[in-house]
Amino acid sequence: MSAPTGAWEDLARAAGSRRESPAPAEAVRQLLCVRVDGSPYAVPVENVREIVRVRPITPIPRVAKEVLGVISLRGEIIQVLDLRLRLGLASDTPTKAQRIVVVQADDGRVAGVLVDGVREVLRVPESAIGAPAAADAGIVAALCTHGTEFVSIVDPQRLLEVGGHG
Amino acid sequence: VAKKGNKADREFVSEAEEILETMRARLADLSDRLGAGAEADPELVNALFRAAHSLKALAGMFRFDPISALAHRLEDVLDGLRLGRVALSAPLLAWIDETVALFASLLGQVGDGTALAESAARIERLTAGVAELAAPAAPADEFDSLDLDANVLRALTEYEEHRLRESLRRGRHVALVDAPFEIQTFEEGLAELSGALRENGEVLSTLPSPGDSLESQIRFSLLVATDLAHAALAARIDFPGATVRTVRGGLAAPAAVPAEPEADAPASFAQRAEGERSPSDGTPELESLKSISDTVRVDIRKLDDLMNLVGELVIQRGAIGDLIARLSERSETARIGSEFAKVHKALDRKLRELQSAVLEVRMVPLRQVFEKVSRVVRRLRRELDKQVELEIHGADTELDKLIVEALVDPLMHIVRNALDHAIEPAAERRAALKEETGTISIDAFQRGSHVVIEVRDDGRGIDRAALRRRAEQLGRIDPGVQLSEKETLDLIFLPGISTRDEVTETSGRGVGMDIVRSNLSALGGVVDVESTPGRGTAIAMTLPITLAIIQSLIVGVRDRRFAIPLNSVLETLVVEPSAIQISEGRELLNLRGTPLLLRRIDDEFGLVAGARAARPCVIVIGIGDQRVGLIVDRLECQQDTVIKPIQGPVQNLRGISGATDLGDQDPVLVLDLSALVEDALRRREAA
Repeated sequence: MSAPTGAWEDLARAAGSRRESPAPAEAVRQLLCVRVDGSPYAVPVENVREIVRVRPITPIPRVAKEVLGVISLRGEIIQVLDLRLRLGLASDTPTKAQRIVVVQADDGRVAGVLVDGVREVLRVPESAIGAPAAADAGIVAALCTHGTEFVSIVDPQRLLEVGGHG
Repeated sequence: VAKKGNKADREFVSEAEEILETMRARLADLSDRLGAGAEADPELVNALFRAAHSLKALAGMFRFDPISALAHRLEDVLDGLRLGRVALSAPLLAWIDETVALFASLLGQVGDGTALAESAARIERLTAGVAELAAPAAPADEFDSLDLDANVLRALTEYEEHRLRESLRRGRHVALVDAPFEIQTFEEGLAELSGALRENGEVLSTLPSPGDSLESQIRFSLLVATDLAHAALAARIDFPGATVRTVRGGLAAPAAVPAEPEADAPASFAQRAEGERSPSDGTPELESLKSISDTVRVDIRKLDDLMNLVGELVIQRGAIGDLIARLSERSETARIGSEFAKVHKALDRKLRELQSAVLEVRMVPLRQVFEKVSRVVRRLRRELDKQVELEIHGADTELDKLIVEALVDPLMHIVRNALDHAIEPAAERRAALKEETGTISIDAFQRGSHVVIEVRDDGRGIDRAALRRRAEQLGRIDPGVQLSEKETLDLIFLPGISTRDEVTETSGRGVGMDIVRSNLSALGGVVDVESTPGRGTAIAMTLPITLAIIQSLIVGVRDRRFAIPLNSVLETLVVEPSAIQISEGRELLNLRGTPLLLRRIDDEFGLVAGARAARPCVIVIGIGDQRVGLIVDRLECQQDTVIKPIQGPVQNLRGISGATDLGDQDPVLVLDLSALVEDALRRREAA
């Protein structure tokens, strides 16, 4: 089994360089920060299995449009969701920066999630995490403050709840 | 059993029960053969012997001495049987039967010291009983007339000698096949030759032969008993340098009775002592430890892992094949490409062998499932007070372990229904001039790459009118709609038809048959029903032998590719568009005089991108007795495929059973043919 890509190692280094920021006593959460339509979104790193480059996606019939199809990860067949469509945004033309983040929900379900790009791994103190902006936030479970920026934290469980027919 | 006992006890009981299960099965086969007057199959006797030996060693290890002692006695008797010292007879079988039953009851008492002690008397009685049975079948010496070197005779073990004697008695031809083998590879060569001989008879013994040979070679002689005459055997052995010499020609008919017993033991017996290889001759513990069991218990998940690895290799092989094709296309690399192709071909062959070996390991006979069913039938028969005979055929038919597991519930369901509802009470049967005892038969057999399991009863049959009324009540069909016989019967598979009211009382069927159908469909199988009022019902389940690696047809539909499991493809045709006819909005093809219902894959899945082919291909699918033609645009290739489940948020992808990676990282969806065929036929009913 080959390592997925070098992306993880780069991210780990990026995370390491920021280690000094939070106060040591406080609980810290690690979040994988991705970019969608110019805005930052994040998934808890414990729910991220791997990050891979975009590869051929075979469409599957009779499913909701945010399910782009399936990819093969070393023979394992995994559905891919478009995070743009999942967030109610318009889909984008393919770019080189796009990645598929393989997310595993706590109940074990797995899906690839297509994002515009992967930014970094954030280490944020619990105190920086608050309620989402909107009460009915769909798949966004929380909002975290990172510097001057707000990062939307996606709930993997809700992310993976997609209807069969669209 | 022994639930209160400690862990070691439980472990012992579970392993011992497994051994007993084997014994019962072999014993049943043996008594069938005795009943049919056939020769006691030496393999069966050997299997029984090994089982007794394992039980003895196991009981010894856990220090259950009474069980160990009894197993030892049984082992002795069986050893006598396999060596021809004891004749196979009905009383002997009855004795073995009783011993096995006693084992079962002893196992129930494990952990209960007093009960075990109380059984001692029974053990005593059985042990005493066997002495009378063990009358020796004194052999006559026929070896003098054989054209066989005395050295060869001397080298035979007692068991081999017994087999030779038995073969002679049966009037078989006995021949000595001699061949040279390269020392480097003699094991493979020997295995090949033995294999070829085994197809034509029994290999009695394999001995090194002193004949002339090159320095790099070694000669072996194989003593073979066969029903073939010299010339016929020689013609079937295609092995370089092999010679066949007749030791004794066969008799036209098997010798009826063994010749008169002779008082003296034949001379060769005296000389065999040192060559003896029988594991029960009291020789060292080392040997008996080695042969405690010839089977290994393996967690099915480990086999799955192994299967997955093989699957990945298959994918890699596909990728190598693509690379070779690319090398061969360019003139400057064509040569290395063709060299590469040769290596690839050899790799391919070995991979196929590995694949089938792993598949083989996963295969288990249906026997265990059938035995479970038969226990339930015995119990229900008592509870319901019904007279029913259960007949089972084809228990040796093998299926993938996972499929067998998934099959238990549907099968149990069908049999229970038959017993519960289909078979009438004795009085009712009498009034209908039927045998008072009803019969339920289960037949299993292989048909191509599928296994068919058919459950047949001679009960009252399905009441079509009641079934129809129920379906109308449920609003499943419109009142007055025309249905064929088959379509009416298929109503039993509708969900909800199963509630225990009208249908159940009058027709006695329909409890959860929709679940049976969907369970089987998930395994890629189908279920068919046939029924004659007053005469009975037959329900046939057709299942693929394995789900792990299958041959698939890769087809193109517009701009997509799909994989179709080849085991359900009957034929493929390229047709002119004008050959496709339309009746009531359904597309049909005249297939040698029979109308074949057609389905277009692109319509099925709403595919619109890419163009249709000018001349489409029709793939004729057969599942059970149902036929449907699938229209696709291209036939691309035929390939081994490892079907993987599709992971992700959307489950229940109707019509898709999984996906496969052919090595180009571009997954191909695998069509769920049972679902597609079912949908096509259902739509016809709806139309």
